[in-house]
Amino acid sequence: MPPRQPASRPSKSRAGKRAPEPPQQYASTDDPRVMLDRQIGALFEPIPPYPTQTEREGEFYTLRDGEMFLNVGPHHPSTHGVLRLVVKLSGEQVVDVDPVLGYLHRGVEKICENSDYYHVIDQVDPLEYVSALFQEWPAVLSFEKLMDVQVPRRAEYIRVLTGELLRISSHILYVGFYALDLGGLTPILYSFIERDEIVEMLAALTGARMLFNYFRIGGVNGDLNHEFMSRLGDWMSRAAKEVESSATLLNENEIFVRRTRDVGVLDRAAALRYGVTGGNLRASGVPFDVRRAHPYSVYPELDFNIPTRDEGDSLARYLIRIDEIRESIKIIDQCLHNMPDGPVMASLPRLIRPRPGRAWAAVEGPRGMLGVYTISDGSDQPFRFRIHDPSLLNLETLPALATGHLLADTMTIIASLDPVMGGIDK
Amino acid sequence: MDRTLKTRLEARVGSYLRSPIYQRHDETEIRIAPADVPEVLRTLHDVVDLRFEILADLCGVDTGEVMQVVYHLWSPMTSDWLRIVADGISRDDPRAPSATFLWIGAEWLEREAYDMYGIVFEGNRDLRRIFMPPDYTSFPLRKDFLLPDDAARSPGAGVRHVERTHVSADPAEGPEAGIRRAPVS
Repeated sequence: MPPRQPASRPSKSRAGKRAPEPPQQYASTDDPRVMLDRQIGALFEPIPPYPTQTEREGEFYTLRDGEMFLNVGPHHPSTHGVLRLVVKLSGEQVVDVDPVLGYLHRGVEKICENSDYYHVIDQVDPLEYVSALFQEWPAVLSFEKLMDVQVPRRAEYIRVLTGELLRISSHILYVGFYALDLGGLTPILYSFIERDEIVEMLAALTGARMLFNYFRIGGVNGDLNHEFMSRLGDWMSRAAKEVESSATLLNENEIFVRRTRDVGVLDRAAALRYGVTGGNLRASGVPFDVRRAHPYSVYPELDFNIPTRDEGDSLARYLIRIDEIRESIKIIDQCLHNMPDGPVMASLPRLIRPRPGRAWAAVEGPRGMLGVYTISDGSDQPFRFRIHDPSLLNLETLPALATGHLLADTMTIIASLDPVMGGIDK
Repeated sequence: MDRTLKTRLEARVGSYLRSPIYQRHDETEIRIAPADVPEVLRTLHDVVDLRFEILADLCGVDTGEVMQVVYHLWSPMTSDWLRIVADGISRDDPRAPSATFLWIGAEWLEREAYDMYGIVFEGNRDLRRIFMPPDYTSFPLRKDFLLPDDAARSPGAGVRHVERTHVSADPAEGPEAGIRRAPVS
């Protein structure tokens, strides 16, 4: 905080004319307004007000000649939520980045450890709020493993069907926000048309637009209904065409391609060392997709490809998403053709008490591998409920990727990594 | 369940195992001492017939008596997830070696485990709080950290809505009585 000006400043105005009022000063430092001012100042001060604790932190917060700090966020629109970045700049070039997390931390793991198994499912929904079903999925999978529940095949197909719909919706939104972060307003308008269709049909099925609370331990909450099926049929008849036409907005756009090609290159070895998963890993040439690498549900019966690219730059990460939308449309088509009849829920007791044990389950979400590790102690609440979110590890590459680029490219890289802060901060 | 993985693991890291290899569904679990973590992870990562190249997860666990660090790994050579439990870390002074020499991405996962459990990962060069503010002093996911509205576990403070199962609310049993403990297994 700069020191405030003294209250009694000598007036330089001519005699006879009233001097302008000096800026109003607070009476004393005990004034709550002063204290509030200081607190707000300290909140956005890039240099920590405490002694640095670690080697890396000490290194980062030491400025060399010509360097400066710039605070981005926590409410900057390009940071996709409440992410704060302390960027170390030399001129306009990024020297290093220190992401500051935790603005959205709600302690969901602790809450889940104090909830019934049934209640856990709606507690985890708001984590990945863009694609909430993918956060419910590993949770119910791990509980089903703990209890040896056999899920009816129709329920598995419905899970895959709704999951792939949501993957498309998430990827479409990704494309729109990506372009928006680069300054292009048009694609997001088209994205929201498509996304609204999907959201509305899922709302007809589950009763909620974003936080579905639809998967249950042993099945799903409710069978497919007429409104969902008719909306889905309408949409599927033109989905492929719509996707191709929205893709041409950016694929051939020279400004977009030149701002993303060779920006934030993540090579194969680094991607594995960082633990990156999902489209970001496949854009670096590793064909790791949990749906194929460690199949769950009915994915072994379905025919689809795992698109990969070798460039590892921001453009490749975008193109992978477009390819995945095409594959998801294929999967939905197969689900609709192969959907078996039968029940959608296994019969389970009202109070679940799995035997003591441990279970890990992972699924492939739109951003990468979502995992849940559950320890049961035989009671009706999980003893340990660990949520693994891919966005955390994807975002961790940001300091390495942004270094050496211009500040504006940092926004490109964040958008291309597609973090969701709800999942990162838990 | 991959039976051949069990024999391969016994051949390669058998001398480090603290208990028999446990297999259930599509998971294989080994238990090792925290000091052996670097050698075991290095072997699992490098040896040609194991090749556990993807770190799926790293997390801390408080069993109420000891701390654990749990790693989940994926390899193209097997159809199982591999779980490595570094068991028997003291609750009073929890320390474990860092996995950042192999997976730099473990840095933030270890920061999270430190933030939530206070486990100090030796070798991690950025071990500070990640979600909680830097001047925060508690470790919220430890079992002796009770939620303020957690009537079930505050001694004598209320009745749970479902059923009491695993917690004694009797103050005569001492403050430790409220801590939930993991089953012996």
